[in-house]
Amino acid sequence: MSRKVCFISRHPDYVHDAMRSALGLAVENMYAYCTVLDATVPVFSDYHRENLEWIRDMEGEVYSNMDANVETNELVKISIEELGQKLREMDIIVPYGIPS
Amino acid sequence: MAKSLGIFVSNPNQMRHVMGVTKAAVAKGSKVKVFFSWWGTKLTTTPEFPELCAIPNVDVSICADSYKQAGFDVNVVPKGLTPDKMATQAQHGAIIEDYECYLTL
Amino acid sequence: MKILHVYRSAPDATTKKLVEIVSEGRETESFDLNVVSPDYSKLVDMIFAADQTICWW
Repeated sequence: MSRKVCFISRHPDYVHDAMRSALGLAVENMYAYCTVLDATVPVFSDYHRENLEWIRDMEGEVYSNMDANVETNELVKISIEELGQKLREMDIIVPYGIPS
Repeated sequence: MAKSLGIFVSNPNQMRHVMGVTKAAVAKGSKVKVFFSWWGTKLTTTPEFPELCAIPNVDVSICADSYKQAGFDVNVVPKGLTPDKMATQAQHGAIIEDYECYLTL
Repeated sequence: MKILHVYRSAPDATTKKLVEIVSEGRETESFDLNVVSPDYSKLVDMIFAADQTICWW
């Protein structure tokens, strides 16, 4: 059975690479998710938007609890409570990089 | 009985813990795989990095793309590594699939 | 399911909330890495004994 993995980034410098890492696991046939938590990132470049779309094509998703990321980069809004429930489904949880 | 352990490193301030956990696991007879990604690749410049690579039963690799994005020359292999260990995120997949325990640092 | 929570720094309110939700109804243990001399041998034993280890920032 495919593993479920969720990366959580709290620092803007680590968001793009968490998405790239998630994509790397998605191509290894895992369900890969990312959450941008309490951090805001600028508008994605074409490269990062492509990564986002590939993650979605492979049944993953990128979430954020920040409205700015939802509006700017079309990430899916998630609350802390919803994230906690989602993490309960995960086989691997990756608090990524450094704290905010 | 010792289980195998995979360690995924993305925080550039964790070498102390990477060394501590790896040495403790190997001392218990564990096989360990460590994969450095993104700013974690900065740890290739620490004095401990070649020491980590030299520990028996420890497989060390880094994300070559991260290494490049972090400002390093991919043609310069960090001391202790071999060119085939300048790898991709598939190494992270291998940690998850092939190792019994997983740790993020 | 036995979950091991490892803390690399003091958990803030957000981390505490996530830990609370993830842990609900499950057996959990914790280990503080944010000390001068962590007992790595003990940590490795705890990792081996857990079904899942989450190493928070």
